[in-house]
Amino acid sequence: MPEETLPFDQELLELLKSITSEGIKNAARGFSGMVGHKIEVSNPVATLVPLLGIAKIVGGPENEAVGIYLRIEGDLLGQIMMIIPYQKSMELVDLLMDLPEGTTQSLGSMERSALGELGNMCGAFFLNSLAKMVGASFRPTPPAVMVDMVGAILDVIIATTGGVSEHVLLMQANFMEGQRSVEADFWVIPDLKTLEILINKNNTI
Amino acid sequence: MKDPISVGLGEQVVSRDPEDILVAYGLGSCMGVSMVDPVTRLSGLLHAVLPRWTSGMEPMDPASSKYVDSGIERLLATMIKEGANRHRLIVRIAGGANMLIAPGLKNSFEIGTRNIETARSTFQRLNMTVKAEDVGGNIGRTVRLYVADSRLTVRIIGEKEKEL
Repeated sequence: MPEETLPFDQELLELLKSITSEGIKNAARGFSGMVGHKIEVSNPVATLVPLLGIAKIVGGPENEAVGIYLRIEGDLLGQIMMIIPYQKSMELVDLLMDLPEGTTQSLGSMERSALGELGNMCGAFFLNSLAKMVGASFRPTPPAVMVDMVGAILDVIIATTGGVSEHVLLMQANFMEGQRSVEADFWVIPDLKTLEILINKNNTI
Repeated sequence: MKDPISVGLGEQVVSRDPEDILVAYGLGSCMGVSMVDPVTRLSGLLHAVLPRWTSGMEPMDPASSKYVDSGIERLLATMIKEGANRHRLIVRIAGGANMLIAPGLKNSFEIGTRNIETARSTFQRLNMTVKAEDVGGNIGRTVRLYVADSRLTVRIIGEKEKEL
């Protein structure tokens, strides 16, 4: 069985970049409203990376990380995973909850739920941007937050895509509050159907 | 000392070099399947991703290692080809966790469980006994197979390696 290659061309990548960038900026605005202090997101960068290369980017498959996972339901099906190295995730919790740097030393249910909410917002705003562009309706499932080895977190995606997606869209962005900044990686993993909708839409524009 | 040999997703590695350590890092729903011939010390580790290969394929096609059922058959065939005696083989399996626990995400994500069931049924079909298991749950595992003394260890986050 030959593995299907995603039809990623330059044009589509640009389109995905702009949707993601728009979505993540909206998410920051939404999050600021929720936590009551201004959180900005700067320099969203989108690149295509091989799915199997992600573990290396995050520091090896055995490294501890936080995975925030949402499925997309509605007119299209898909999934979004946000992966943050463990240490960074605690910095992010401090930033989101307006705590002095270094306050968070472990991830309890409160911290996990804050991270889940962040993933939820990023996902929801990303989907809103996408929905506006293609004129379809979809919503994210509640977030699942995992704290485990990167390899094990990635298995969730690998097992569900079954190797169909050889490449995923990697988003990197800085979450900032005043002088503080935390870099987070944000993966968007569209399945073939998502892309088909986008491609069809793009061709008719 | 040599660096451990990483057995990546959908790969198998077979070795008889006592200095080798075969490692499958961060198994989530994936299955690590180890076979050791205690006489020749020939050791093999498989890192399979999905339960079953559905369409026909060549038994020795490297792509078969992606699936638990065909991966086990390929590992067995490779071990025998390299001189292992099938009746002596010690089989141990680890992995098959269900990583996602969240409301609304039930059922469709039981790939871990299906991987475990497929591993057990495949060995049953092949008339082979699984000597030890560390499977299921919702936690990632790193599996190491030490060729020198056939030890198989499992490590989870925040804990030391444990022998299986």
